[in-house]
Amino acid sequence: MSPWRPSSWSLAVKLPLIVCLVVAGVAGVTGFTVIQKERIELRQALAEKAVLLSQWIAAASAEPMMRNDVWPIWRSLRQVTSKEVDEGRDVLTAMVLDTEGVVMAHLQPGLNPIGLPLHTDGDETRLLERALRSETTLVLEDPAGGFVEGVAPVVGGGKRLGVARVRLSTRVLAQAVGEATGLVLLATFGLALIGSLAGIYASLRAVRPLGRLADAMSSLARGEPVAVPVRGADEIAHLSVTFNAMAAEVAEKQRLERELAQAEKTAALGRIAAGVAHEVNNPLAGILNCLSTLRDHPKEPGLLERYLPVIERGLLRIRAIVQDLLVEQRAEHASEPCGPECLDEVRDLIAAEIEGKSIALDWRNELPPDTMFNRQRLQQALLNLLRNAVQAMPAGGRLSVSARREDGVLVIVVEDTGVGIAPEDVGRVFDPFFTSRKTGTGLGLWITWRLVQSLGGTIEVASRLGEGSRFTLSIPLGGPDGSIAD
Amino acid sequence: MGEARRIDRRAFLTTSAGAAVAAVAWPARAAGAPVRIALTAAAVRDELPLYDRWAAYLERHFGRPVHFVQRKTYHDVLELLRTGDLDFAWVCSYSFTQAWDAGLVDLIAAPVYRGSPTYRSYLIVHNDDAAQRLDDLAGRSFAFTDPDSATGYIIPRAMLRAGGRDPDRFFRRTFFTWDHGQAIEAVAERVADGAAVDSYVWDYLAAKRPQIGRLTRKIGQSEAFGFPPMVARRGIDAALAERFRTALAAMPREADGRRVLDEMMLDGYVEVGSAHYDGVRAAAASAGARADAQPPSAL
Repeated sequence: MSPWRPSSWSLAVKLPLIVCLVVAGVAGVTGFTVIQKERIELRQALAEKAVLLSQWIAAASAEPMMRNDVWPIWRSLRQVTSKEVDEGRDVLTAMVLDTEGVVMAHLQPGLNPIGLPLHTDGDETRLLERALRSETTLVLEDPAGGFVEGVAPVVGGGKRLGVARVRLSTRVLAQAVGEATGLVLLATFGLALIGSLAGIYASLRAVRPLGRLADAMSSLARGEPVAVPVRGADEIAHLSVTFNAMAAEVAEKQRLERELAQAEKTAALGRIAAGVAHEVNNPLAGILNCLSTLRDHPKEPGLLERYLPVIERGLLRIRAIVQDLLVEQRAEHASEPCGPECLDEVRDLIAAEIEGKSIALDWRNELPPDTMFNRQRLQQALLNLLRNAVQAMPAGGRLSVSARREDGVLVIVVEDTGVGIAPEDVGRVFDPFFTSRKTGTGLGLWITWRLVQSLGGTIEVASRLGEGSRFTLSIPLGGPDGSIAD
Repeated sequence: MGEARRIDRRAFLTTSAGAAVAAVAWPARAAGAPVRIALTAAAVRDELPLYDRWAAYLERHFGRPVHFVQRKTYHDVLELLRTGDLDFAWVCSYSFTQAWDAGLVDLIAAPVYRGSPTYRSYLIVHNDDAAQRLDDLAGRSFAFTDPDSATGYIIPRAMLRAGGRDPDRFFRRTFFTWDHGQAIEAVAERVADGAAVDSYVWDYLAAKRPQIGRLTRKIGQSEAFGFPPMVARRGIDAALAERFRTALAAMPREADGRRVLDEMMLDGYVEVGSAHYDGVRAAAASAGARADAQPPSAL
């Protein structure tokens, strides 16, 4: 999860963040729109107030102005603009001028003496000119935004006598807007916080189950189906239910497979038992037959000499079968780890067996030194293959053995230049008690196949009658370094 | 002093805002027709509880209810005397000379202020103003009290005349406030650069309302003139006039009367003759009339 790539962020972070941003955005935009509207309305109200005040003053000033009596004008000016009348109002200044702009009364009399023209410059002069020209009430605005001014003409005896001007500060406006802004910011922050909490809650409700589902799927991929808890009835719950159904099906399938494998094992055992019974029964029948004849004709000369070798052959065959089965049994339960040098022990063994026969041994062990495998099972499997090859070359030939590692798989190829296997027999060479030779028990290749299978590997055979056979053993090595713990 | 006897303060504000009449009748307490006494700018008129107490004192002496009547201008009060709608009035010294000379009034008594039945005209400016004498106010704005006021109009004009100035041109702008207290306020608020006011009113306000004393400063004063007297409408019941005279004279000796006097910062009342106001007559003769000096009610 890179902090600079939002696309890589966890949903548990993104969801609260997005909700928070959206909520804050909506709250902020709404709030500031309301503030803007409020500001316009407040300004309007302030302007109306200024005009109303100027109208009051103008009305109170008309009669005193007609008789040139300025004191009552000042009194009403001060009274109307006094703080006691309206606490919230902020009168910056107020004045009554005659039509020439001469001060009749001013709220700051010390700076604006009665009887002198109002002193102005710049923007103030322009405002004064507009006020003096005005025939009706008027709202003037400070170019700098500091005040709004209400202007009302003073009319008496059907004549315009002068003008009343009242300036209200916009400070109260700025203050109200400031307060509202504070509230909006607070609300935005609060809502964003609530949004984040909602996002966190949503992520707890949505993201965590998703995480559990992902974990469960990984576990399923490893062949360990587990169920996830289902809460509520939303899409995630639906997904969880579906997943659980799938996991249950996988588990059921695995159970069935295990049962099937068990049944096959039992069946194979049955077949072997039957085979053993059959294979043992044949020599036994011959032996018993010999013994019966010997008992019936104890005095008949030459009979013993003739039958003893037959009995011996029969017993030897039975012993061979039993030995092969014992070898298979031992190897199948061994688990001693061993390195590449163990293969060379097999070479020594077979080299001793082919001594005196015209068989050339081409041995290439290219396994890296760190390759580890199950000693007894692999040795036995290889030895059986080699013996099979030697027996396939009664007239001599060449036996090639190569061992190498390919992508964590141990590959051993055994090749002979023997009699080969008939195409119709290729599919049966690993069946127990299948043999094409009179002396064979038919158990060697079957044992090899069983051992290779117990190591999780495969064995392939390619053969051409009269030219030879090639057996390829492929056994996966357990650990990353090519070793196996087994 | 019951609440019901108070004059509604708002009624006074209306008086100053317009030219309307603001006579307020107390509920009758003593039997008989009320005795009507007018107050003018010569008195400090907005101390209402004080006048309640004074009325109570006088009611005790008259055995009749007492109504204090307020009018905006001296002129209005003179009109009420003329029409017989008043019994007594506390008028300005100049108004008195006019009314006396017109045969409208008789003297009852004059208040004794700081040991003497006299007062002066004070020339005041804002405390921050650099002016030191009347000449420094040339070309500036000036508040007069009332065209019928001695200290607030006649005397300062006479002083200007005596100094060889034309009182109609000396100031840039003048206006009337129709009350000494408001003339002081006009200076305190800098609406006017200077004002001429009744020394009694200024001393009274400076003592009772220190902020006014702090904001204004006295830069000159006139010689002494007869203090605004209490007068009776000529032709009223002599016994009533005598009872009033006795009541006023008795004030320093009676507890409630003493209390009212103390609050008014007066020592008592003393009988004076018309000649006591000759100085005012002389000042009025030299002050000269002014064309625009028309009270609002004259329009």
